[in-house]
Amino acid sequence: MVALFVLSTILSANADADTTSLDQPHDLEEVVVVTGSQGGRRSLKGQTATIDEHLSELSHVELVRRGSYAWEPSVNNMQTERLSTTIDGMKIFYACTDKMDPVTSYVESSNLQSISLNSGLNGNPQATGNIGGSLDLKLRKAGFEGARWEASANIGHETNGHVQVYGADVAHSGQRFYANGGVFYRHADNYATGGGDELQFSQFQKVNAFVNAGSKLGARDALEATYIFDRATDVGYPALNMDVAKAEAQIASLAYKRLFDDGRLYSWETKAYYNHITHVMDDTKRPDVEIHMDMPGESWTAGIYSLLLANIGRNGLTLNADGYYNRVFADMTMYPGGAAPMYMVTWPDVGTLNAGLSASDNITLPHSQSLRLNVKWAWQQQRINDEEGLHSLNVFFPGMSDSYFQVIGRVAANYQLTIGGSQFSLGAGWGSRAPTVTEAYGYYLNNTFDQYDYIGNPRLKNESAIELNGSYKFTASDARFSVAADANVFLFRDYIIGQFEDRLSAMTVGAEGVKVYGNIDHATIGNASLSFEWQPVDFLRFTSNFSGGIGRDADGDDLPLIAPLAFDARAAYSHRALNIQVGWRGHDRQRNFGRKYGETETSAWNVVQLSADYSWRYANLRIGVENLFDRNYSTYADWCDIPQKGRNFYANVTFKL
Amino acid sequence: MKKVLWIMTAALLTMTSCNSNDDGVDDGIVIPGITITGDVDCCSAEEALQVYKFLQTVKIVPELTTEVDGKYNVFAYTSTGSFHKGYNDIYFVATKKSSGNYIKYFDITSVTPLMYMVKMNMSHSTPVGSSYEVFDETRPAVKRGWVSFLMNTSDAGSWTISYTADVLDSKAGVEDAEIEVDALPDGQDWLKNFKLGDDTYFLSLVNPLDWATGTNTITAYVSKKSSPITTPYAVADETFTIEIDPRMPDMGNHTSPNNVALTKQADGSYQGSINLTMTGLWRIHLTVRDADGNVVAGGDDLSDGYSSLYWDVTL
Repeated sequence: MVALFVLSTILSANADADTTSLDQPHDLEEVVVVTGSQGGRRSLKGQTATIDEHLSELSHVELVRRGSYAWEPSVNNMQTERLSTTIDGMKIFYACTDKMDPVTSYVESSNLQSISLNSGLNGNPQATGNIGGSLDLKLRKAGFEGARWEASANIGHETNGHVQVYGADVAHSGQRFYANGGVFYRHADNYATGGGDELQFSQFQKVNAFVNAGSKLGARDALEATYIFDRATDVGYPALNMDVAKAEAQIASLAYKRLFDDGRLYSWETKAYYNHITHVMDDTKRPDVEIHMDMPGESWTAGIYSLLLANIGRNGLTLNADGYYNRVFADMTMYPGGAAPMYMVTWPDVGTLNAGLSASDNITLPHSQSLRLNVKWAWQQQRINDEEGLHSLNVFFPGMSDSYFQVIGRVAANYQLTIGGSQFSLGAGWGSRAPTVTEAYGYYLNNTFDQYDYIGNPRLKNESAIELNGSYKFTASDARFSVAADANVFLFRDYIIGQFEDRLSAMTVGAEGVKVYGNIDHATIGNASLSFEWQPVDFLRFTSNFSGGIGRDADGDDLPLIAPLAFDARAAYSHRALNIQVGWRGHDRQRNFGRKYGETETSAWNVVQLSADYSWRYANLRIGVENLFDRNYSTYADWCDIPQKGRNFYANVTFKL
Repeated sequence: MKKVLWIMTAALLTMTSCNSNDDGVDDGIVIPGITITGDVDCCSAEEALQVYKFLQTVKIVPELTTEVDGKYNVFAYTSTGSFHKGYNDIYFVATKKSSGNYIKYFDITSVTPLMYMVKMNMSHSTPVGSSYEVFDETRPAVKRGWVSFLMNTSDAGSWTISYTADVLDSKAGVEDAEIEVDALPDGQDWLKNFKLGDDTYFLSLVNPLDWATGTNTITAYVSKKSSPITTPYAVADETFTIEIDPRMPDMGNHTSPNNVALTKQADGSYQGSINLTMTGLWRIHLTVRDADGNVVAGGDDLSDGYSSLYWDVTL
């Protein structure tokens, strides 16, 4: 939209002057701006970047890639099971037993204003089970105080894989009513890896449409509604044995918001929502399929939350009550040639009823100190509604019940002190999570990463962790130089991971064996990063970031999918409406890989990218090249070591009226 | 206080007597064509209803219907109204011609299936259950037994069945009623045999289509070939243990855990427990041991590593 490429870790207060955005941002939250005109960290490709590309701008985030679509966010080296992902506070759960559809894949860049990340246990109010962190995808709403009419269009093209992006949206903003909406389309063919080889089954296609509307009921209260339709079709997953014919989501919400002016209460929002995901896998296009399979999955979630913000003296208070009911069902039918089809229920129609209460308090203390306290308590019940699925699991867990309940919670405290240019922060917390549906009730879910079939374990204990974190940041008085270091460690109890079960026989043809989810007594995950920023002259800025992680199980062996040492260095030149950037990033060889868990070593790699953008009054042009030297590489997070994209030129234009 | 109690009691009475099941008609149970009260040869009204309900779930085998002394009818039923290769449950019911009432006191004996083999011009029988008994006390007028057919009707040969019915001291029977025994579909093979010395034994798997994904009771009979072979093959006196190893040949011989070998029960049947992780074709490889634990059949590891003696069941 507007050509502003700021790569700053600090985000100025509320990104858009938008009365509908009631959250008060704080230092513990990291934000990437997706659309919208003001500063903040954002992708070099601007609005035409995919959600995954936007996510990769966040410093604690890595992305597990099974193809060129629907990457799985990993925060603090923890994936979906240990993260909470919400869309404007709404819970949504993926519908694929093979994790082909992280919920971030069911929105499109144009739907969002920003993505905010709370690292570790310091979750957003609606988050539950967020040991690693919580992501909240903030929807883009025109609000009551925006421009009266606004329209924009995006066109993008990338040479590698002939990626095409088309988007258009329009927004109307008025004193009593606002509405905005848009449509988005992406199409990608197979991409070429470094060296020019085409990677089969790396194509995808996606359409998305959204509409937001708000109407003022009185001077200080309003009703808001959201609807998002998202459908991806013909999505290839080169790292897996099958592709996706259709992944479709419908997301809807209705909210009532009230602002107060009594000086203490700030706002109160109550939102009811519903979403439905349908996911259909497809192996009909693969050659050499031994047994054709149908593997559909569905997820329904309905929920409500009520959030009260207040400022009382030095306290910035947040109180939230939320509840949701989610149902997931997946089954599998295999068709061996000439013989009877084989059928099994892989997610036995599990209904999860969850209710939670959370509170947080940002306390401003004298002498530039602040303290944030955050607590959440939640109760949930899970019930297996499918008889056949229950009987199947009963084979492995005789006497198991058809319903279980869990109580989970978290508490976290963060203290921050600023002295001159130095900012210190220390935090500690404890949190627990309930096993996921896959971990508790999954049935012969094949994992191509280690070639094992996974069976859930309904008798798992809750996993819990103590988190300790600290950071230090020094900013020179003229703000031209800063250095920041941060580190965290998670000390797990009853860490949930698949464990070898030699007594069971694999189901999937070609699988190595069976793993059953179990609790291991303890495990540790730690992360550290160091970053520099230097702006010797106004038009030149250098940034660099180094990070690394470590993960150990109870035996001291390495956990899988832990990032090796990584670096990202960028130099940016800006002159009036022109910005040019050179980036260089890479990973060290993955020395500590989870050999025990079937992970293989990943070699070191580094790539260079160039980008430039220029803004006119009504348009903005971005061009660039990724993987300039056409390196053939894969990262530790590339499922089954599928290679990354080779050299890729891109160009996109955004028109704005 | 008294008044309050009075009102509460009245309210309670109103509530308990008000029930949507009460439609004002007090006719009791009505079964078409059957009077069910006051017949000492039959059952209580509830039992007659249970018999009636049960008979709705099975189908009559017309070839085996007979009349006794012009007073009674005897009907035979199977789950499909026909027979198939392997184990078949057969149910018998006797009724009074006059009233249609079920009769509790009757016996079915000498059930003799015979196959006439055209080319060899000889006949042989097949494994049968030793007697026809009440199998569910709630319906005492239904007697159950079984026949396990060695082969289906074909150009090679055809089947007949004879039996004797003894109803309230009147006797009659069916002589050599021709019946059709159907082949089982592909992926179903429920009858196997093995030799031990000069004797041949037959392993009849009972009703595997009742199974579902999950844990199932597996029941079978071991019968011994008679001499002469036209005598129905009775359940063997010896005691065996039948170990099972269920595999899915279409899934790389995937198996399931915690299967329990079949052991002999008081009623002469063999029972164990089988776990099925999904539907599809299951090949249940067998190892038969004698009372001393010696392997007497199956348990051989062929080139694929599994026993050559197996039942096939497709769910």
